[in-house]
Amino acid sequence: MSRNLNRKLVAVAVTAAVHSWTAAAGAQTVVKIGIGTQDTTTNTVTAGTVIRQLNLLEKFLPKDGKYANIKFEFEWNNFTSGPPVTNSMMANKLQFGMMGDYPLVVNGFTFQSNPESASRLIAVAAYNQFGSGNGLVVHKDSPYFQLSDLKGKLVSVPFGSAAHGMVLKAMQDRGWPADYFQLVSQSPEVGSTNLQEKKIDAHADFVPFAELLPFRGFARKIFDGVETNLPTWHGVVVRTDFADKYPEVVVAYIKALIAANEWFRADPKLASEKIQEWTGINKEVVYIFLGPGGNMTTDPTIKPILIDAAAQDVKVLQNLGRMKEFDVTKWVDDSYIRKAFAELKLDYDAQIKSMANYEVKGEDKFCNKPITDPRKAGEVWVDGEGIEPFSSAACTLGAYSSLKAKGKKINMAYVFDTSRGIKLFADQAYYATGGDKTAVAPFLLKKDAEEHAAKNGGKVLSFEDALKATLSGG
Amino acid sequence: MEGAVLRLIESVPGSPAIETPSAVPPAAKPMPAHRGMNKAWRWLALHRRELRALAIGAMSLALFLLCWHLLTKYRVTVYIRFINVPSPEMVFNSLMRAARDTKFLNHVFLSCRRIFIGFAIATTIAVPLGLVMGRFRLVREFVFPVSEVLRPIPAIAWVPMSIMLWPSNEESIIFITFLGSFFPILLNTLHGMTMVDPVLIRAAQCLGAREASIFREVYFPATLPYVFTGLTVGMGVAWVSLIAAEMISGQFGIGYFTWEAYSLVQYADIALGMICIGVLGLGASALIRGLGGIVMPWGKK
Repeated sequence: MSRNLNRKLVAVAVTAAVHSWTAAAGAQTVVKIGIGTQDTTTNTVTAGTVIRQLNLLEKFLPKDGKYANIKFEFEWNNFTSGPPVTNSMMANKLQFGMMGDYPLVVNGFTFQSNPESASRLIAVAAYNQFGSGNGLVVHKDSPYFQLSDLKGKLVSVPFGSAAHGMVLKAMQDRGWPADYFQLVSQSPEVGSTNLQEKKIDAHADFVPFAELLPFRGFARKIFDGVETNLPTWHGVVVRTDFADKYPEVVVAYIKALIAANEWFRADPKLASEKIQEWTGINKEVVYIFLGPGGNMTTDPTIKPILIDAAAQDVKVLQNLGRMKEFDVTKWVDDSYIRKAFAELKLDYDAQIKSMANYEVKGEDKFCNKPITDPRKAGEVWVDGEGIEPFSSAACTLGAYSSLKAKGKKINMAYVFDTSRGIKLFADQAYYATGGDKTAVAPFLLKKDAEEHAAKNGGKVLSFEDALKATLSGG
Repeated sequence: MEGAVLRLIESVPGSPAIETPSAVPPAAKPMPAHRGMNKAWRWLALHRRELRALAIGAMSLALFLLCWHLLTKYRVTVYIRFINVPSPEMVFNSLMRAARDTKFLNHVFLSCRRIFIGFAIATTIAVPLGLVMGRFRLVREFVFPVSEVLRPIPAIAWVPMSIMLWPSNEESIIFITFLGSFFPILLNTLHGMTMVDPVLIRAAQCLGAREASIFREVYFPATLPYVFTGLTVGMGVAWVSLIAAEMISGQFGIGYFTWEAYSLVQYADIALGMICIGVLGLGASALIRGLGGIVMPWGKK
């Protein structure tokens, strides 16, 4: 849909710009639109930060009819988590807000007691069907390599967040009692510092911390939300009093969100660099989430599996005594996004069924073959040059060594977990050899790598050893 | 001096000093039959001011509650908006739910302990340091700039540093409450030292007092009222920094309780936490004032 849509978007943008000239005259009433973003929560950036920085909303706002004499003023507020956004929305300082699945249902529930307005879910920012994005990290020097190693240990997680839900689900799946870990609540900033200082044994958190902390060099991810198999996602909510009064603005917002997603996918490298500039999250980390084959799929359609996941979240919160009755299906309102899709001549019903992300593609210049299986591929980000795709983990490591030998500076290399297909930082992965001599299979978990190696009569290598092995083997 | 001692004794209800002539109102002649009633009457007469203050205080609190109730009941919106502010009834329900839960009492207990330890350490360091700074210019010139730089830093900004500085979280939390109370105590002690009348010092020196005696007999008593002002303010600030401090704790403390309620957007629990901190702070300050009255019987009430 990308190229075709881009053209349409430009056309809409141009007509909108023309209209804005004609409307500039005449007496104007000012309407304030407050939008609560989470700049550092990477999977919401296309729903907030990008729209703000590229002035996308202005391009799609209605300019004629009842809007001829209305001037919109934007107030963008940035927060590091969902609850403050809900708080400001309750106080009518913000009309739009974006947050993760758990804070979202808390938002909908909290608004039930607001006599002025309710809140409705109008679009999804990004999701992972299997729950990747949330993760649990330990200090890199610690002796913990899987979840069961943490029995009786001190584990912190921001309570009421998507990561909290992940931990509870993981414990439930394994039939562990509630006191299996010493579970405490710490916000990302507190938990990160505590982990760095080894005050806690593990910290579970939402996007981007499970990737960011290992990237910063002191943590190691030992559990990925993908193992819970429960979708995780971020979405956009709006106050109904605003939406009822200005439905066209809500539709325009969703169009801007679609445009932001397209902008990212059109040039993921440039977009990641820009987002680093705007939010301070390292571009390599942004890329692992939103780049091709990344851990987050940006798709605004409100998919039934995501709503089912939200219903699960409600149950977890009810079991904790944190929530009473809340019906998620009544809280979803897809009328605006359907309108936006229709006006952009896109097929909503087709898109809602698609679970596809965009994938790594192109020609492997090291092994000289096309990329056929994107979730077995790899990428190398050469500083100042670009991101090169490679057809396999072995080719990626080989290319890495040869680029290094040529004196190039490498920002990051990416490979995919062999069993789960999640994107990994190459230098954090465990590599299993065996079977085919030249092949190496990257894994997130040491346990998985060991199993694979045992089955194929190989061994488990670290990134450095795997580099040497591919160098000598190829 | 004699009057001061009397006043001290008077302030202890039911003490034998009540029989001293100066304390007995002229109308009340001791008669055996009405002894009990007379005693009560005298007690009332003696504590008229306190009772009056108590009654007015209770009235003002009741009025506050009533305003709160009405403002939230009718969801008043006059520029400031009470639409989503929890009503006193909702907070009371939260309190009832919390009171049945031993966890809540544990929150309160742990916070009190943290404040007490942090405050005690702050007092034992800040008071002597303030006295020495006031007496010796070199020390003052050396310490003052550092303390002035550190003083305006809000508690919440200390959170990451505190985690890195101390080996355990309990110590990090106590450190933040310590910082809150340290600077007000130090500054007030220092201020007290500069307010000591130089004539008194000269007089003591003329009478042959040595440095240690001057410190003990002149500087210390003269500074004490300021020290207690510092302690009262410091205790208040220690409670102010509690939420920031207990963000670190992750599971216990009334500050953590409030913080967790915020992260789950539960307004009634947030208000309960706020009120709880307020009441505990009030109690702590009252304790210090009471202690001040005992330590400084000559001070004004």
